[in-house]
Amino acid sequence: MSYDRPHRGGGNRRRHRDDYDDRRRDVYESPAEKLKAAIIKFGEVDVVEELPRLEKSIRESTPYAIPNLSEAFRIAVTEQPFKIPHYAALLRRLHDSTDEVPTAEDTSLGKQILEDFWKGFQAYLDKLAWRETRLCIHFFAHLTVAKLISADSMFGLLQSFTAVLEEFGVSHGRAKKAAVCAAEGLMIAGPILKASSAERVQEIISAIQAYNDTVTSPKWLIGPILKMYSDEGSSSSADELLDVVLQALKTLDESDFAETASSFSQPYASFPDPDLASFTPFNLPSVLVPPEVIELDGLATDSGEDAQVKKEEWPEYFLRLFDNDVTPDPKTPAGYAVHSGLIDLLDIFEVNRKECARLLLEFPKWTIPGTFKPKPGGTVVPEPVPGKDWQLESTVIENVLGAYFVLPESSHKSIYYIGLITELCKLSPSTVGPAVGKSIRKLYGTLGDGLDVEVARRFAEWFAVHMSNFGFQWVWKEWIPDLSLTVQHPRRAFMRRALEFEIRLSYHDRILKTLPEEMQAPENRTIGEQAPGPNFEYDDPAKPHHDAALAVLNLFRGRAKAEDVISHLDTLKATLETSDDGGVVNADGLIRSIAIQSLLHIGSRSFSHLLNAIERYLPLLRNIASAGASTVGGSGNAEAKVDILTASAAFWKYNRHMVAIVFDKLMQYQIVDPSDVVGWTFINRAEIRELSEATGPLSLSAFEWDLLKGALDKANGRVMIARRKVTALRKEEDDTRARVKASGEDGSAMDVDAEVKTDETPAVDSPALTTALKAFASLTREQKGALSRTLDGFVSCLAPGSTDLNPNPHSRVVISEVGWNERSGWEKDQWNAWETWGWYRQFCRSYAPYLRNYSTTLWTVSFAKFDGSTDPAADLLKKTWNVATGQE
Amino acid sequence: MAHVVAPLDQPSNYKDSQTRVDRQRQNDMLSKSTTLYIGNLSFYTTEEQIYELFTKCASPDDGGGIKRIIMGLDRNTRTPCGFCFVEYYTHAEALASMRYVSGTKLDERIIRCDLDLGYKEGRQFGRGKSGGQVRDEHRQDYDPGRGGWGAQAQRLEIERRREVEERYADAQDGPGAVAGGGGDWKEAESTGNESRLKRGRSPEDEGDNTRLQRSRAEEDVDAERM
Repeated sequence: MSYDRPHRGGGNRRRHRDDYDDRRRDVYESPAEKLKAAIIKFGEVDVVEELPRLEKSIRESTPYAIPNLSEAFRIAVTEQPFKIPHYAALLRRLHDSTDEVPTAEDTSLGKQILEDFWKGFQAYLDKLAWRETRLCIHFFAHLTVAKLISADSMFGLLQSFTAVLEEFGVSHGRAKKAAVCAAEGLMIAGPILKASSAERVQEIISAIQAYNDTVTSPKWLIGPILKMYSDEGSSSSADELLDVVLQALKTLDESDFAETASSFSQPYASFPDPDLASFTPFNLPSVLVPPEVIELDGLATDSGEDAQVKKEEWPEYFLRLFDNDVTPDPKTPAGYAVHSGLIDLLDIFEVNRKECARLLLEFPKWTIPGTFKPKPGGTVVPEPVPGKDWQLESTVIENVLGAYFVLPESSHKSIYYIGLITELCKLSPSTVGPAVGKSIRKLYGTLGDGLDVEVARRFAEWFAVHMSNFGFQWVWKEWIPDLSLTVQHPRRAFMRRALEFEIRLSYHDRILKTLPEEMQAPENRTIGEQAPGPNFEYDDPAKPHHDAALAVLNLFRGRAKAEDVISHLDTLKATLETSDDGGVVNADGLIRSIAIQSLLHIGSRSFSHLLNAIERYLPLLRNIASAGASTVGGSGNAEAKVDILTASAAFWKYNRHMVAIVFDKLMQYQIVDPSDVVGWTFINRAEIRELSEATGPLSLSAFEWDLLKGALDKANGRVMIARRKVTALRKEEDDTRARVKASGEDGSAMDVDAEVKTDETPAVDSPALTTALKAFASLTREQKGALSRTLDGFVSCLAPGSTDLNPNPHSRVVISEVGWNERSGWEKDQWNAWETWGWYRQFCRSYAPYLRNYSTTLWTVSFAKFDGSTDPAADLLKKTWNVATGQE
Repeated sequence: MAHVVAPLDQPSNYKDSQTRVDRQRQNDMLSKSTTLYIGNLSFYTTEEQIYELFTKCASPDDGGGIKRIIMGLDRNTRTPCGFCFVEYYTHAEALASMRYVSGTKLDERIIRCDLDLGYKEGRQFGRGKSGGQVRDEHRQDYDPGRGGWGAQAQRLEIERRREVEERYADAQDGPGAVAGGGGDWKEAESTGNESRLKRGRSPEDEGDNTRLQRSRAEEDVDAERM
């Protein structure tokens, strides 16, 4: 990394001197910048010791640059929430007059900073920057307890947020964030607020309660522990955000907020009360939470549906792994303070996982002593606080995993949480390692007792990447007894998936070596016997059509031109159809299989080889996909595209990773469409038995879900790109028109007629915009098609009609309470049916933002046939759909 | 969030000595870059392993994904020499890799990511005297994932490996040697046979008519990155 390496320094270096110099200049820090940095770094060594010193240097920084000081406070408060109580203490001291610097009230330094700080708060609120807004409210709440802000105006602030809950048609995302703002403010400022008006405290709590009572149905769909037969979402091992907020708040209220002092640090508590004769507390101005900005780009699908996508509309469940004496229960005030403090760190420090890990492990420094068990070997061992004395590492891991497992999707990418846990382990292997191990065992233990299928998939993903960072060392032998469970039991499915993901990151032999013999044994179906290689069906000279396939393969190897391959295939087809033994029944299918498998064969060396093979033979692929009818534009031939997907999957039937990659690239190069992949996954996939765990009755496992997700994301992503393109082109054209108009006005400012004429000219879209709009229309059509085929596929899997082929007879049993309670006797088909239900739920909730736009049409297409039906499966399908699309 | 800690997604101060763009322009390009340089790979790591890890930073529902992977090869032996380029469709995905993947392990080695100006023809080959990366020529330690001792012993290792590993023996030079990876969705052409049979090259193809003049071919840039 360094450019100062001694052996360097030839002429080349010097030539670029200028380039380097601009980076190496010493950063000059002005006194104002130094002071700002000092405020932000406040408390890095000893927050109590530093307080008077920092106060002094701020006071001495005359003339005061108030905006600089308030910005430092703003950054400190919104980026280091764990220090907010100490900043409140600092501001309180800056407000008080001292003997050396007697200040009249209107010039109080603290007050000036607070007034300017408020402007920053207002700016966060205007942008609806919820986290920053909420953390500023924490600051104000502490200042209320420190007697610097009037209770009355603090009430006013909190009630502006509960007012949001009563807005007509408020989105859950907005209501949730507003409720948490009000609740956390009240938790911290409660001791003063309740003394001022118990009635207004009650109003705030009731408003949140009333809102929370309206969101029961979504909770049923979003909890991480499934109970499909029950209407309840709650479970003892998972807590929903607003539920815990309310419980903690009510507990505090019952004791008149006596517990606030033992839950939130109050370093200012020992300060003497300000002299009320010469002091009026600061009154926070009243605010209005601005409405959400709805981008109106007026883009609708060609059948008039709205095409906007809006996420984050769900309650938030956090999975609990440990008992309340090991990690805090977020339903208690002190537990909630720890939980929300840690979750804030996860969000704020997402940009630097290493720093985030460090801060998480330093968290106890900022909590009330006794909250966490002391580090072993510390000099002073404080008396453990009853009901606290929690284990730091387990608490941190539980919260990181809790955030990672939030459904339908976590706020950040999976790999962030995974990478963060890796950093935590690297920082303190001897303490974090065991907490990780315990968490894995706890999670594994819940498999088979209703752990959501998506959570189980994320668990396997985390497990594999984590092990990949720590030498694949896991004590697999403790799970040997579970090999006696049925092959599709969630625990066995987990072991298989975790190992498959490990192999993808490493290689087969390496992973095989980490397993005990029992798990290596092929009859136990936990890991493949061999490395997952390609399978060219025509390789064996004894196989039919070996020679024909070899000839095609050799054309590819010799880099024959695409048109030559096409004519060779045409000839081959004619030969096959008229061969002596009466001709091949499905010559088209056979030709496609030979061509695709041979092409994949030359592309099987690596991902790049695959891309090269596809790019070189795009015309051939297009020819095959359109069944030779090369003048047909666009969508190709459905049967031909199914054959292409089947041939690809057959070629890679021992390597599901490659199946997903090949399908993705076939969509990327527009050989097949996402809806083709969806249809294939539900219907044709079962033809290749080796590929799937979910053979037999129609059902889906995590692998099929990954294929579906790949297809749906591709369809949705394309709409996203098309939308951006249209928006950009429109803006460009508007700007051009405005410029033309402006220059016209300049030229003939007096000529009123000319201006009128300009206005009358109808706006004509440029060819580029016309094309972009056409693409947008095609792509939303395809998106709707892919979503519709997915829904339809699930419906026929889960509520099969009597005439459906290969129905799963268990799809109705597994959703009943009786059926679920008998799960210890379930076989493969029951677990398959149960997992398929789980993926249906994930489909509905994670694609809800897209499904909502098409809900009327899709309902008619897929559910109209159930009108008047009493089929429990149909009922559950409809209920799930209605909850997801916000109709229940 | 840049006030309290430095984000991990900043590019290093590496500058490709073979590129003719000035630093200002380079910074502009990096601020939109969709390509990552990945260093410290094992010589044995495959593209599929790389794909698996880097897919975790992809945002397909935002129009993203892995566009292509270009494996760094020894110029002479055409075998992997410990680096690669990963190209995404979006800049945000490249940043996510910097934040979440750089500094973690792949194939049991800690890999390093850096934002890159983008693949240019020829950059898939090592720039060291021996054909590999220059950093391996200065290396004094024994590194089993990188072919043993430094450049000299490495030759033997590679020779041995060649027996089993000829994956990239067919790697080509020149324009069009490296796949483009597929561009944005386009309305299917409804034209006749002839135009369909023309090889469809994506506009992103590294056709590179503006090949950079290479006067200082021995200057290794990839070594400086470490």
